[in-house]
Amino acid sequence: MLSKRSLVGVRLNFHTLAVLFFLLIGTQAFAADPSVANSDEAVAAGKTVFNANCKQCHKLDQKYTGPALRGATDRQSVELVKKFIKNSGAVIASGDAYYAGLYKEYNNLAMPSHEFLSDDDLNNLLAYIEYGDVVDPAAAVATAGADGAVATGGGIPSEYLTGIVVVLVLVLLLILIVLGLIISVLTKYLNKQELDETDKEFVSQKFEFGKILRSDGFIIIVTALVVAMVAKTAIDGLYSVGVQQGYAPTQPIAYSHALHAGTLEIACQYCHTGVEIGKSANIPSANICMNCHTHIQNLEGKEGVSPEIQKIYDAVDNNKPIEWVRVHNLPDLAYFNHSQHVKVGGIECQTCHGPIQEMEVVGQHSSLTMGWCIDCHRQTEIATAGNAYYDKLVQLHSDSKDALKVKDIGGLECAKCHY
Amino acid sequence: MKITNTYNLLGFALTGVILFGCKAGGDDQGLEYAPQMYHSVAYEPLTQITDESQGSWLSTREDGKGEYYNSNIHNPNNMNMREPMPNTVPRNKNGYLPYRLKAFEVDVAGETVRNPVELTDDVLKDGEQLFLNYCSTCHGKGGQGDGKAGEKIGGVANLTGGAYIGLPEGHIFHVITKGKGRMGAHGSQILPEDRWKIVHYVKQKIQGGQGAQTPVVAEAEVSTEETPAN
Repeated sequence: MLSKRSLVGVRLNFHTLAVLFFLLIGTQAFAADPSVANSDEAVAAGKTVFNANCKQCHKLDQKYTGPALRGATDRQSVELVKKFIKNSGAVIASGDAYYAGLYKEYNNLAMPSHEFLSDDDLNNLLAYIEYGDVVDPAAAVATAGADGAVATGGGIPSEYLTGIVVVLVLVLLLILIVLGLIISVLTKYLNKQELDETDKEFVSQKFEFGKILRSDGFIIIVTALVVAMVAKTAIDGLYSVGVQQGYAPTQPIAYSHALHAGTLEIACQYCHTGVEIGKSANIPSANICMNCHTHIQNLEGKEGVSPEIQKIYDAVDNNKPIEWVRVHNLPDLAYFNHSQHVKVGGIECQTCHGPIQEMEVVGQHSSLTMGWCIDCHRQTEIATAGNAYYDKLVQLHSDSKDALKVKDIGGLECAKCHY
Repeated sequence: MKITNTYNLLGFALTGVILFGCKAGGDDQGLEYAPQMYHSVAYEPLTQITDESQGSWLSTREDGKGEYYNSNIHNPNNMNMREPMPNTVPRNKNGYLPYRLKAFEVDVAGETVRNPVELTDDVLKDGEQLFLNYCSTCHGKGGQGDGKAGEKIGGVANLTGGAYIGLPEGHIFHVITKGKGRMGAHGSQILPEDRWKIVHYVKQKIQGGQGAQTPVVAEAEVSTEETPAN
């Protein structure tokens, strides 16, 4: 496996060398403008300018929001390129066919003007665009290989574990067989000896399974166990009446919190906008989805529009709401307010909703029973710092040894939640 | 013994049936203890039940529909949520009036719209939290356009970059509210006051105070005085 991989590397190396050779010849032939110098300082300075101003829309060798930049000065004169960077609108307005075509190709997306860039900045930038960060395919292959090695390295311990378990089971079986042999040998030996009646009976007694089954002790133990299990399941079952813990309904769109909140680290509040200002956290309307999904139409590396994302587009086009299924159905007899807990109390979303950032399908994590609420109200200290509302309450509570908790300011009163 | 066993088996079977009925999981909501106290009689904005037969087994409704039916037939799509009446103006104690500039009037906004929120340490702290919640996803925690979702979208502005560093505060407020280029409009997600706090944070902390507006509270177009309750 390893030797094969290194062979590929060698072949690619030759390939790259050839490509690099032609690239060098090519750039020397075209970028003859003396102001775009291939010096390390110019390239380094240009990289800073590029990262600050261009990186968001351009890559050197790849199409991104805007076109790939390498070779820009081969395609057009250095003067024109500089002019375009400084004020793209003016160049397009002047009727330059090449740039007008580019503008159209990239959906009439105008590049912001960069009048503040000095001529030195521009020269350095163009130097970086021409000569900076040349991608070496062989290096890319090498890093990919290294990643693979790490991945296989991670799997070894679990294989060891199964091996150890198998060996242990084999050893135990061997011991069992040896013990059986010892018993049979001992019985044979004792039967040859002169024994009195009781000893003889003891040695030659047979193991009767049925007798044990019919014994009183066994029946009592089994009955007790069965009764206990039935009672436990019945009580558990009764306690789960009216508790929707674990409810994880299928949603109209297979939206993954693991991807959005987990991998992409989008804050909960970005979509659940009501969580700090109102009773409900709110379900985002389709226009919030469209902030990103105007541009993102499928998972990375997949072509076309994903059927799930298509459902957002259908909802927006037809002005028809997406009918999400409500997961947390707090009974109407209890009042709960998100902003009081999240904004005032400073409680993390995950405290009640569990590891949402790992859930593909969201389910109800907590029981949402009254006992669960009260338990938290008994234990939770109030974040009084910097909140003048609590000043007098803190003062009144200052005689007590314990910290000011929710229960101390009426967190256990019926009418706090039931009215 | 046989009788005990039979009883035990029966007990097991019964509990099995009970458990199957009441425990929630997957698409099953489980059994409700007092359904008539669980379901709202009034229209619930985030609980819409369009099936007229749901809960008909215990219904005492005069219109003959199921107990759980909760939809407003007078709204589009039978929604319980209602959009505000056209041409009405929402008022609150901060007195913010609707933002009237159109999406393309970004230059007008930069010249005329001023930040009504006074710059204090608390405002900057709030602004930072708001920036992390609403902006860092794309613009990155330091505003350098390197947020995780921003990398997927592409073309996210580097707020510390030269093209953005000198922009007037009204411009930033306008872009948050109405969107620009590849950025969507965030006016529906963030309250006007919070948007101004974000503007303060971006100007002071991310762009190091460059191009920040001189505090001219008197000139503010928006009144910060408390509006008397109706």
